[in-house]
Amino acid sequence: MPTVMSGTAPAKIVVARVSKHFGAAGAPVLRDIDLTCAENEFVCLLGRSGCGKTTLLNIIAGLTPPSAGEVRVDGVPVTGPGRGKGMVFQQNALFPWLSARGNVEFGARRGGLDKAAARRLAGELLELVGLAADAERYPGQLSGGMQQRVAIARALALDPQILLMDEPFGALDEITRLDMQAELLRVWASRRKTVVFVTHSIMEALMLGDRVVVMGDGGIAAIHEVGGERPRSRGDPTLIALHERIWQGLH
Amino acid sequence: MRAILARHAALLQGGAFLLLLLAAWEAASALGWLKPHSFPPPSRIAQGAWELALRGFPEGVRVWTHALVTLRRIFSGFALAMVAAIPLGLLIGTSSLLDRLCHPPITCARSVATLSLLPLVIVWFGTGELSKTLLIAYGCFWVMLSNVIAGVKYVDPLLIRAARSMDTPAGRIFSQVILPAALPRIFAGARTALGVGFMVIVGAEMIGTIEGLGALIMEARNFYRTDVTIVGMLLLGAMGVGFALGMEALERRLLPWHRGLSEVRR
Repeated sequence: MPTVMSGTAPAKIVVARVSKHFGAAGAPVLRDIDLTCAENEFVCLLGRSGCGKTTLLNIIAGLTPPSAGEVRVDGVPVTGPGRGKGMVFQQNALFPWLSARGNVEFGARRGGLDKAAARRLAGELLELVGLAADAERYPGQLSGGMQQRVAIARALALDPQILLMDEPFGALDEITRLDMQAELLRVWASRRKTVVFVTHSIMEALMLGDRVVVMGDGGIAAIHEVGGERPRSRGDPTLIALHERIWQGLH
Repeated sequence: MRAILARHAALLQGGAFLLLLLAAWEAASALGWLKPHSFPPPSRIAQGAWELALRGFPEGVRVWTHALVTLRRIFSGFALAMVAAIPLGLLIGTSSLLDRLCHPPITCARSVATLSLLPLVIVWFGTGELSKTLLIAYGCFWVMLSNVIAGVKYVDPLLIRAARSMDTPAGRIFSQVILPAALPRIFAGARTALGVGFMVIVGAEMIGTIEGLGALIMEARNFYRTDVTIVGMLLLGAMGVGFALGMEALERRLLPWHRGLSEVRR
């Protein structure tokens, strides 16, 4: 599979011949994955449950070591989680004993800020995700969508160059999910990052990504470039046609 | 007024039902259906309580002394158990090897009824205060220990992964993630342990003392003072309820987020 890069922007993340199997004799979850993400590119990893997309994301994050191959960020091999990478999980990954503000401050402190600066940044980021009024509430008192806004703010608080998102809207209801996609694009427009976004929703991938990497059976099945300015229209005929192509390709 | 009535309807109904039961009990005794010696009617129990408050039982040891002595013993045993079980539980909970090694002996020790240790404790430590404190501490310790271990062990791995994704060093993950995540379970352990303390105290006070509610209950038996026995039981029960409420209030104060969570989940 050739590595495709959009435009001429420099490579930010390089996944080189990465394989992963769990246990000594386990069947491979990932086989010889090659993928390059350009600086500030929004890449969606799309696939069914169990296709290895989350494992690949965890390897890029440095949370899971690959069995073979390596991941390089800015040319430097990834050996563990680093502050250059912010991560957003599916749900319930906020610290329930910290307020929304406390959670974002936790990220800011980990990003190396002192107390006062962390507090300032947390205020700014909560404002950015539209939760300034709910800063003192605990995650348990927030709706699922609000919790994910806090999670995004917490990841941004690290001031990462890369944002890794593991089905962040997968547990939300459809309407909230669409709102959150728009919200994420708005935030991304104000804080450009390289984003790797895992999803099992074809439409979500098409609404968000510069490219959609379709995964299946431990490998990359196809890579589709998605054109058009964001926010995109769900009724756009080229997107609908691409949706159909991806759907056909998965069967 | 009507609103207040509506809000406390359940409480009022409960109170009325309790009064009805007491009245029926009193009537059954007055009519000769219940032997007053075996089933003292409420009026007789009230008399017993009055006597305990004024003259004491045995003579001179008044009810306040009994209650205070019992409280002091429960607390010293409980505190000793906390001081030992919390650090040990945190240690065992974080090490899967230690957890595997310690699981069988802990399960075994938990299964042995605390009071079956009474003979050994008397032989080793005599019949003084130390034995009573140790018995209570023993009862509280195992409950507390298993809860602290479980609290640490069953922290949601996603929270730890989230902390790791922010490049949080291991020491900080322990103090800022595992510890707060385990707190609700540790609190639940402390509440249960205190309950165990209240159960063990009666047996612990059977020996070598005439002070304490357990001693009062046993002493009353020797004189066929069933009314005094019941007063002792009621006092223990009331103290138990008081402490359970106190612990809940403390928990609400210290873990406000936990209440917030249960409100949403309810």
